[in-house]
Amino acid sequence: MTAKWVGKRIVMGIIVLFIVSFLSFFIVQAAPGDPAAAFYGGNAQTLTMAEKERITTAYALDRPITHQYVAWLKETVKGNLGTSYKEGRAVSDILLERLPNTLLLFSVTLFFIVIGSVWLGTVAGMKAGSIWDKGLSVFSIATSSIPAFWLGILFIYFFSVSLGILPSSGSEDVGGDAGILDKIRHLVMPAGVLILTHVGMYARFLQESIKKENDAYYVKVARANGVLERVVQLGILRNAAIPYLNYIAMTIPAFFGGSIIIESLFAWSGLGQLTVTAVVTKDYPVLMGSILVTGIIVVVSLFILDLMMYAIDPKLRKGGIR
Amino acid sequence: MKSRKALLFWFSILGLIVSLTLLSSVLTPFEPNVMNMDEVYAAPSADHWLGTDHLGRDVLSRLLEGGKVTLTVASSSVLLSLIIGIVYGGISGYFGGVTDTVMMRLLEAFITIPALVIILAFQAFMQGGMWGMALIIGLTGWLVTARIVRSEFIRLKDAEFIQMAKMFRTPVWKILWSHLLRNSIPAIFVVTLFNFSSAIFMEVSLSFLGIGIPPAIPSWGNMLYYAQNDILIGAWWIALFPGLMIFITILAINFIGEAWKNPQRRRFND
Repeated sequence: MTAKWVGKRIVMGIIVLFIVSFLSFFIVQAAPGDPAAAFYGGNAQTLTMAEKERITTAYALDRPITHQYVAWLKETVKGNLGTSYKEGRAVSDILLERLPNTLLLFSVTLFFIVIGSVWLGTVAGMKAGSIWDKGLSVFSIATSSIPAFWLGILFIYFFSVSLGILPSSGSEDVGGDAGILDKIRHLVMPAGVLILTHVGMYARFLQESIKKENDAYYVKVARANGVLERVVQLGILRNAAIPYLNYIAMTIPAFFGGSIIIESLFAWSGLGQLTVTAVVTKDYPVLMGSILVTGIIVVVSLFILDLMMYAIDPKLRKGGIR
Repeated sequence: MKSRKALLFWFSILGLIVSLTLLSSVLTPFEPNVMNMDEVYAAPSADHWLGTDHLGRDVLSRLLEGGKVTLTVASSSVLLSLIIGIVYGGISGYFGGVTDTVMMRLLEAFITIPALVIILAFQAFMQGGMWGMALIIGLTGWLVTARIVRSEFIRLKDAEFIQMAKMFRTPVWKILWSHLLRNSIPAIFVVTLFNFSSAIFMEVSLSFLGIGIPPAIPSWGNMLYYAQNDILIGAWWIALFPGLMIFITILAINFIGEAWKNPQRRRFND
């Protein structure tokens, strides 16, 4: 049963990656000029006949489109994503350069969102009807209605323009020693904006499911039997964690989309900013590559969340289906 | 009682914003697109209530005109995704079986890909105008609607009154239209409201990134696109007001959705 469940998840991930790859392939196909130009951009004119021949055979350009897709997929799996129009470098190199920054922002914000929302949600959920309970609902709706990038602009105005204590853009000082402190200084605002605009909605979700568990029969029985409050709350939290993790999984794509915008605003040199610049400058190979990598990141993080749910939820281990 | 009052309050806020933007052609004190190089970056004053931007254009006028554009794009894209969502979710929910399984797996896969990434891919090729934007946002925004319609249809289709209707040989289209769809309307309404706020978010974000609505047409997102540079020289009014409008609009929509959802919460939480 377990194997079946894991298998199902993996198949799902593969389907997603295929759709993402279709999307990327579509970009290559729809790019103006011939596909050789789409792969080798500005360098296309300088290619010799022999090199053009090689591209044609490698990507099956003289064959039907289905063959072309397979050939393209083969090259992509090998890590050959073409050359950037703008920079004339291999797309895979550019992506690898950008990846750490995106993963840093992604994991730091997600870490603090989870810590913050578990704390707020538990406090508010356990005390139904209290100030915390009502306050969190309003806070959550209010903060999730703020456009994150607008909050970012205001932050730049306060912290960079008026107070001058935080850098307004970039992911490290140009020519600086790029130490850890420098990184943190640049990270504070983009991460802060993302955390502030997202922590409320996650906390609220947890609060709701804790409240639901609190009313459940098993909790009442446990309390009536004099089980320690701490133990009861731990049990509630454990059961409320399952829908909470599921909610994180459901909202991660949208969250990732939001971080793309924040990366561009703060010129945080990650994948999101790369994607947007690629759209603006019509750098199709880079766009193609960054979309692929984004898809992979989302699929991998969903898989990790699935594993966590599997660890917590005994129903899944015993072969039940979510 | 309390939630009813709140509903009324947020409805009137939203109504006010919508009517102000719809009447923008009458209300705007200045032409939204006329430049005035003598009054570049003028701070808010009696003349220009909300100041002027880097080309000396009146921020208030652009705010109202831009609201019309933003809200038009959002509502037409929501309409489109509503139609797609109802058809997709309806087919999946009503027919069930293999059709349902395949359609739902596909939908789950689509939900995993950030909508923004799909839209970015399309925008790289077709920098369309307003309607192009509405089309793309609509084409990527129907997934949750489809899911809700499906679960409503599944919940309803085994109900006694549907069985009865089937027994009396009511035509399928009639069952679908006047029984299943009609009874799903409350749930569809709530999801459409939230869809509307995310459509606004999407338009605003894309225009803010400079790949949405063409810069010649004012929209709330476009105004913020320029604001990110203006803020560095201290012109805060250009950034503050469009964002505030977006914030209040979405806040109103979200509170309406919450208030609406509340009395029937049990029904939507399956």
